[in-house]
Amino acid sequence: MASIFYLSALCLALFPLQGFALETSEKLLFEKNSLYQYISVIENTVTKERYIRNQKRELIQGGIYVNAPDKLLFEFTQLGFVSLAFLNGEPKDVLFVGLGAGVMPRYFTGRYSDAVIDIAEIDPDMVAVAQKYFYFKENERMKVHVEDGRLFVKRTRKKYDWIILDAYQNDYIPFHLTTLEFLKEVKSRLKDNGVVVANITAPFRNKFFDSMVMTYKKAFPHFVIFKGEKSINFIFVATTGSKIRDKDSVEARARKIQPAGKFDIDLEDFASRYEPSETYEWGGAKILTDDFAPVNLYQHQKSGAQ
Amino acid sequence: MIKFVVFICGAIVMSFEILGSRVLAPNFGSSVFVWGSLISVFLAGLSAGYYLGGRLADINPSSRKLCLIIVAPGLLFLTFPLYSTPISDWIFMKDLGVRMSPLLASSVLFLIPSFFLGIVSPYTAKLMICSLHTSGKTIGTLYALSTFGSIIGTLTTSFYLITIAGVNALIIGQGALLVALAVPLYFMNLSCRTDQTSPAGMMSDTK
Repeated sequence: MASIFYLSALCLALFPLQGFALETSEKLLFEKNSLYQYISVIENTVTKERYIRNQKRELIQGGIYVNAPDKLLFEFTQLGFVSLAFLNGEPKDVLFVGLGAGVMPRYFTGRYSDAVIDIAEIDPDMVAVAQKYFYFKENERMKVHVEDGRLFVKRTRKKYDWIILDAYQNDYIPFHLTTLEFLKEVKSRLKDNGVVVANITAPFRNKFFDSMVMTYKKAFPHFVIFKGEKSINFIFVATTGSKIRDKDSVEARARKIQPAGKFDIDLEDFASRYEPSETYEWGGAKILTDDFAPVNLYQHQKSGAQ
Repeated sequence: MIKFVVFICGAIVMSFEILGSRVLAPNFGSSVFVWGSLISVFLAGLSAGYYLGGRLADINPSSRKLCLIIVAPGLLFLTFPLYSTPISDWIFMKDLGVRMSPLLASSVLFLIPSFFLGIVSPYTAKLMICSLHTSGKTIGTLYALSTFGSIIGTLTTSFYLITIAGVNALIIGQGALLVALAVPLYFMNLSCRTDQTSPAGMMSDTK
């Protein structure tokens, strides 16, 4: 009995509040158990990177170079911008579902300063962290709505040119932001030529990925996938009426906006990763609906396609 | 049989609560306000059920009446998909704010079923006590069974059921289970008289 007590005391001493061990080069700047997740802000003093992390080592919600905060540190934040090549003009109305470190909206306004941006973020602590550690600032053109993303989409009367779905809770997307009903609601908030881009993480090809592919396919007439090379992310780009949608015209458009938007990332290279959704379709996958969406289970199950 | 009913009702309460979070999410999100509303409404329903169930149990309790108590939420579950979406949509349209909307929706959708399921505990306790005379042991056993049922209901729903079937199908299944349980209760004829002609709570007249 006593030995069990000492063992648990030892465990507690070895594992303090943070859910993981820091590398020697890493410095903990902030940590908090918010209403929705564990948030920590970590700075790597050697690589001069600063990022937000949840429990697990690999779960990063966005980050910056300390010495160059306007550059995009992570591939998945860079890759998402390839979706701008599906638009035939400059996006004027933009919606982000999920703020993270606020890196993507900040990078975006640096290039398209006239755009009006709405950001739906459920976690007020995340907003505070983005402001304090990641140079995120609201202004009259860029507003954060502290609200569940689904509710914002359902309530807003506005239509958008570009909608970015990147809401995560720890390592998963909350189920009600994955379903066919939700995607249809998103589609209804899209202008005629509008584009939806979603960040889907899949550390290995799992059933969740399969189901997301089939659910997007069901919701949108045109849907393309870009695969991360350095990361476990897939970028889904879906449109309803966009004229620019085959690989050649997307690449051509990427070449055009690259200098126009003064992008310091290689949009053309990203565009060359264009893969039609058929590459990843697997008919056996179930479409996720409000009635049936076992997101957490599917994430840990191997894809049936293999 | 009575013990089995108590166990299943305990399981269904918690299973329904887990499913409730899925029912609310499309219209009200999954914020803390939703979880707070959901849990408090279930507890409110249960406590009201315990209170009134205790009083009801003092008036000639019988297995036939217990049958009706279980059939009521059973029918609500069986028809749940018919009214849950219109009600949720309507409350969503009313937009009473991030706190009041999920609280109202939870109350309308979950209060009455959890109230009926709350009645089951004190009612079955009385029904068994007046036939068995070992009140302490009986109440203890029923509490344990009910809570053990809740554990099983929570685990099976969140671990397995939700991953193999749709929310609406599961709720209908619960309704069918309740109605199926009610049938043998109707024919059981377990009852006890609590009027002046016999000493309160001491008589059993099972036929």
